[in-house]
Amino acid sequence: MEDLRSYIESGILELYAAGDLNPTERLEVEAMLIKHPTLKTELADIEKSLEKYAKAYSIAPPAALRDKVLGNLSTAIAETPIAGNDIITLPTRRDSFFKYAFAASVALLILSLGALVSLYSRLQESRQQLTALQASNQQFSNRVNFMDEKLSEREQILNVLRNPEYKMVKLKGTKQAPQASMMVAFNPAKKEVMIDMAAMEMPANDTEHQYQLWALVDGKPVDLGVFDMQADDEGMKKMKAIDNAQAFAVTLEPRGGSQSPTMEQMMVMGAI
Amino acid sequence: MSKKKTISEDELVRAIRQRDKFGAEALYDMYSASLYGIIYRIVQHDEIAEDLLQETFVKIWNSFTSFDPAKGRLFTWMANVARNLSIDKIRSKDFRNSSKNQDIENTVNSIDEQRSTAINPDLLDVKELVQQLKPDQKSVLDLVYFRGYTHVEAAEELGIPLGTVKTRMRMAIITLRKFFN
Repeated sequence: MEDLRSYIESGILELYAAGDLNPTERLEVEAMLIKHPTLKTELADIEKSLEKYAKAYSIAPPAALRDKVLGNLSTAIAETPIAGNDIITLPTRRDSFFKYAFAASVALLILSLGALVSLYSRLQESRQQLTALQASNQQFSNRVNFMDEKLSEREQILNVLRNPEYKMVKLKGTKQAPQASMMVAFNPAKKEVMIDMAAMEMPANDTEHQYQLWALVDGKPVDLGVFDMQADDEGMKKMKAIDNAQAFAVTLEPRGGSQSPTMEQMMVMGAI
Repeated sequence: MSKKKTISEDELVRAIRQRDKFGAEALYDMYSASLYGIIYRIVQHDEIAEDLLQETFVKIWNSFTSFDPAKGRLFTWMANVARNLSIDKIRSKDFRNSSKNQDIENTVNSIDEQRSTAINPDLLDVKELVQQLKPDQKSVLDLVYFRGYTHVEAAEELGIPLGTVKTRMRMAIITLRKFFN
């Protein structure tokens, strides 16, 4: 207590109240105030007397200043809003907020549109690429199918040629078509007759006529089916079955074939 | 001007913390004259004092969170804000340039003589107060409290030891306490 008295008597509280202490000294006084309520009471008395002294020597500011100052404080209210109180909002700040918000929105919109256009054109590009790839893929698979077909035709021919059961019969051109010729493969054991489309040298037939293959069995012609002469036909064409024949002949007949051969239109003939 | 508003210090502090418009008005009505008295005695220039009073209230309002009742009374804190802003102003270059023609050494007494009508007449008898305060005590008090001198500067100004400044300061305030109670 003695210490507190001398602390009070040192006059430091008066200097503190008059605002005449450096920050370090102020902190020391504030620490003492928290520790000793007596000092707080003493300080409050000093402060009150200085407050009254200031009031005694107060000077009234010009009346017009009140509205000006309070106007500035209203601004301060809007700038530091505290939740749960009615706050006077400042129009200019709101306006500029919306202005910036609007500008930002427009900028975003433009950016988005730009991105959209760019994405769309890239999508189109991708689609075109996809279409091109699909087309070339189709082309490729067509080509593979075509090669497959060719290969199987070749294999078929090869199998026929290799097989000793097949008899290869060459039909030669008659007076009607001296240049014509074709090959017939005949397998009596399996009753198979095939004509080699690749090795066929015949005049092209028109749409109203077809070639008809005949087998001569004991002097009588037997129908073995009709065929067309087409340049791109390359495989072995299977004709009607027969197990016995002495010769083969081809006549040009109306489309679909005839019951009996038109002898004047015999194109090729060959004996086995 | 609307009717002046006066409320208790606790109510005022609460109203300011709630950013209440009424709080702002009460704050101004209760303390503008006292604070203007301090500011005017330091800067001694009408226009600058008005600007500073405005600045002082804005600062009080905006940095009210830094007011701590545990460290002292509301007015003490506000007077410090006013005093510090005013001292910063008179130490600034533009102030020294603009007020070359002004008599910086003007005393507090002469201001009060010039503006005697402004002194709050109904609160107390100022003459009686001045009689109670010894002149050497009053000059220390006024230099520190109204002119913003530190006690070191006051000692230099008055040509007296530091300890004497502190003693006179304390005696002056003890006299005030007796007078006002």
